[in-house]
Amino acid sequence: MDLDKIGLYLGCLIPTEQYAYELALREVLPEFGLELVDIEGPACCGAPLRHINLSLTMYLSARNIALFEKEGLDILAPCPYCHQALSEAKDIMKKNPALKEKVNTYLKEEGLEYRGTNEHFHLLDLLHDEIGIEKIKESIKEPLEGLNIAAHYGCHLIRPNDIPRPDHSEDPQKLETLLKAIGAKSEYYNEKLDCCGAHIFINDQESALTKTGQKLEAVQKHGFDGMTTMCPWGQRMFDAKQDSAGQTVGASLSLPVIYYIQLLGLAMGKEQEKLGLHLNKSPVDKLGSKEED
Amino acid sequence: MSIVDLTSMAEPEGEAQKKVNEIIKGLKEDIPNDCYQCGKCTSGCEAFILTELEPHKVMALSKSGFIDELLNSSEIWTCVTCLKCKERCPQDLAPVDVIFAVKNIAVVSGKQIDSGYSNMLQAVLGTGFIQSPKEVVDRENNAVTREGLGLTPMKGPEEIAKLQQVLMKAAMETLR
Repeated sequence: MDLDKIGLYLGCLIPTEQYAYELALREVLPEFGLELVDIEGPACCGAPLRHINLSLTMYLSARNIALFEKEGLDILAPCPYCHQALSEAKDIMKKNPALKEKVNTYLKEEGLEYRGTNEHFHLLDLLHDEIGIEKIKESIKEPLEGLNIAAHYGCHLIRPNDIPRPDHSEDPQKLETLLKAIGAKSEYYNEKLDCCGAHIFINDQESALTKTGQKLEAVQKHGFDGMTTMCPWGQRMFDAKQDSAGQTVGASLSLPVIYYIQLLGLAMGKEQEKLGLHLNKSPVDKLGSKEED
Repeated sequence: MSIVDLTSMAEPEGEAQKKVNEIIKGLKEDIPNDCYQCGKCTSGCEAFILTELEPHKVMALSKSGFIDELLNSSEIWTCVTCLKCKERCPQDLAPVDVIFAVKNIAVVSGKQIDSGYSNMLQAVLGTGFIQSPKEVVDRENNAVTREGLGLTPMKGPEEIAKLQQVLMKAAMETLR
């Protein structure tokens, strides 16, 4: 890996409520010799505003990339929604230089320029392709043997395939490979690519929670010990809103849902509190007791 | 017209209405003729199962110019943006993008949109983010804050007024 430092772009949801993800990222990634750099000035990636005005999404994504570019930094965007918005903005401006110039006329007012010279990563490709499976295996002190964990990727992490995404749109495997690297099992399940419902939670909570509940119920019925995510939106639905999702679909849900980076930290022998495990609302304690069986 | 007008639910008049009509006409022309209504998008639609959103119908209605019907429908707001329709279309079309375009038109047309969206926009204009750091509770119901967890304060936009000004202008432009 050539990367020894990377700009951390957290977006909106991680630094305002999904603190466990941020804690675990800051605790675990430096162990691989990667310095996470915080910079002044980032804002929303613009993806949540797509429903209202697509130009705002474009401007905000270009602006965030330009801020890191100015510092000579590549970007780690651990939120799939942000990562996809940045990828899309980059792709559109690459294919349409005239539009890039137009965006730049606005950026100039904020003293910025988008050139498109830096890279951006999600945690999935950063771990799998840059840090690499071998280094991850070497870092493991307490392999998570005996656990069968369902992988949830998140829609925006793998789609659409007409722009670069970190894994295959219909048959992603990198998260399963990462789970195996830390000693866990991850079997295939039919609902693997099902949506968490997060994006209609804002205007239709019942439909959103129904989607969440249906997927959780399926995963629980398949007999998985837990589910892992790399998305703050998915984690928010499956973990923080698990009780309401269970009530909505009339199911008794008790499934540990945990960020992959938290699982990795546990396997590296990190303290639970430093990984924000006390902030998970789902019964993540069950993972430990199962492991000792 | 400003971005604040965009979410104020005021029906546009005169010049503004002309502009909206142009955008609507543009959308109809932008949609290729290639959709043969196979319904693959709808068969895999994550929202269809729950909310009766039928992406293939959105394609047909937009192409035929029945955009007003779509603008007044609630279904367009139930798209979960899973992007499967775009991924799987045998003709490489993107119903999800048409749905986004229709929603954008609904906003400039002064249609009533869910307050969740306008609140999110106001938050971005005011702070740069869709929400500010929240107090959350841990599994034992103890209140927890960013600072309490030892996380550094968020470093948002330094000149928020400047960002707001640029966003207002950018919203009126077609940056796609």
